[in-house]
Amino acid sequence: MVGAAEEKELKRLETQVENGGGGAWDYLCLVRKLKGRCSHNVLKFGLPILKDPNTRSKLGSDEWTLYEQVAIAAMDCQQLDVAKDCLKSLRKKFPESTRVARLECMLLEAKGSWAEAENAYARLLEDNPLDQAIHKRKVAIAKAQGNISSAIECLNKYLEIFMADHDAWRELADIYVSLQMYKQAAFCYEELILSQPTVPLYHLAYAEASGLFIVGLVLYTLGGLENLQMAKKYYASTIDLTGGKNTRALFGICLCSVAIGQLTKGRNKDEKEASELPSLAAAALMKEYKERAPDKLPLLSSTMKSMKLIS
Amino acid sequence: MAEDLVLDGAIRDWVLIPLSVVMVLIGVLRYFVSKLMRSSQLPDAKILKEGQVIIRARNLRAAANFIPAKSFRARRAYYSNEENGLLHVPKGQTQNAQAQMFSDPNMAMDMMKKNLSMIIPQTLTFAWVNFFFSGFVAAKIPFPLTQRFRSMLQNGIDLSTVDVSYVSSRSWYFLNLFGLRGLFSLILGEENATDDTARMMQMGGFGFDPSKSLSAEKDSLDIVQHEWALPKFEQRAEAVLKKFVS
Repeated sequence: MVGAAEEKELKRLETQVENGGGGAWDYLCLVRKLKGRCSHNVLKFGLPILKDPNTRSKLGSDEWTLYEQVAIAAMDCQQLDVAKDCLKSLRKKFPESTRVARLECMLLEAKGSWAEAENAYARLLEDNPLDQAIHKRKVAIAKAQGNISSAIECLNKYLEIFMADHDAWRELADIYVSLQMYKQAAFCYEELILSQPTVPLYHLAYAEASGLFIVGLVLYTLGGLENLQMAKKYYASTIDLTGGKNTRALFGICLCSVAIGQLTKGRNKDEKEASELPSLAAAALMKEYKERAPDKLPLLSSTMKSMKLIS
Repeated sequence: MAEDLVLDGAIRDWVLIPLSVVMVLIGVLRYFVSKLMRSSQLPDAKILKEGQVIIRARNLRAAANFIPAKSFRARRAYYSNEENGLLHVPKGQTQNAQAQMFSDPNMAMDMMKKNLSMIIPQTLTFAWVNFFFSGFVAAKIPFPLTQRFRSMLQNGIDLSTVDVSYVSSRSWYFLNLFGLRGLFSLILGEENATDDTARMMQMGGFGFDPSKSLSAEKDSLDIVQHEWALPKFEQRAEAVLKKFVS
């Protein structure tokens, strides 16, 4: 997760390097620290450093980290020759390293020779059956081949041991959402909320997963109502955590409250919560749209009117 | 009377400096020897998993109020039920850590290696210093000290009349032994293996028993009161939005 300040810094460094202001190494370090995926830039800025023996030797032992970084970026950009050259120098320096072997397997992956890559990973796993990165690569291979069910299987097996790895939980949640298995996804998001309770995005995603689960499957049942109310609460917490800046959560509140209103129509009126939240959310949305996208404002206001959230 | 004890320049050239140089060299040598002897041990899947379970259970305990009651109860049952909960340790399996240590020759071997690489060079150098340099007053520190420092600085000299700011050769050896750590981290990089104190700490924590922390975690999970925090958030969100809109 990239913070706003760090992203700004990254952008600043990027423009600085592009205009010939130097600082390429700082940029690369920041990308590495933030685990960003700016492969084109990494390749563009990193390769000149590696090609010039003078600047390269100035890095000291960081040289090899840069080789690795550039190699991965090159694979991402399908510049396999560059990646191969980088790996060759790495292999020369570290002839028996598992880390380099892993990179070589990734090169196989980048070429698209899945079976070979899988075999190579299996061999590496024999030496060290608990290598997290290799397990994750296996999931990536399965996903790249479109074999989602085996990716899920791999991830589940991985999470059985490394169950505190929230990145893996997030990946699993994403996969489940893409398969519309919202109940399972909701479980994963619960796990993510547990590990990082202050990240609003997880609350948002959880609200969506549990809300969608209901909308998609068992709308108009009592269970549905309960889940919708839950989703609304999580949207509310997202709003609280983001200070009302999250448009998606605002829309979510509106939709949930309308759906809840429909479900509870004709039932006991006392149950209805006398909450201002939906109308407030609608007002916040109107304000946001007025500032940022005035041309879409009529669209929004007509929608909101049809939901009876604004008059 | 001992104020102007004159130290021969030869003592500096033949005792003080050689002693320091030898200590540094031995430290470097020991670093490389222990690097050679170090066997990269693979972590055991079971221990790893137990650690991860503990982290996850701790997360659950800390953030329990952020998930609905139903989810919390399901998770708690998953962790701590009596049949196959993750945190439940069957009675017979609580292996004594000591017994486990002795049953695994690798573990004992590792410990011995660590011990050997630490003790042997120390005894040897100490014997060497004792044999060649005992009884020298090797240096003088430029500030006065109280009597209590006598045993630290004048080890090997049994004279109560000598001023405390003089350092005997054997004490110089001890000062070097413990004081060169900063220098080593400069020469050998940050995580060098010559850090004696850290290693001693490690030895103390050796008999760590994961099943104990598992059951401790289970107990504390059992007494967690779940109180869903989200209903409160609705009011807070309302307040936030009111501020935002106005």
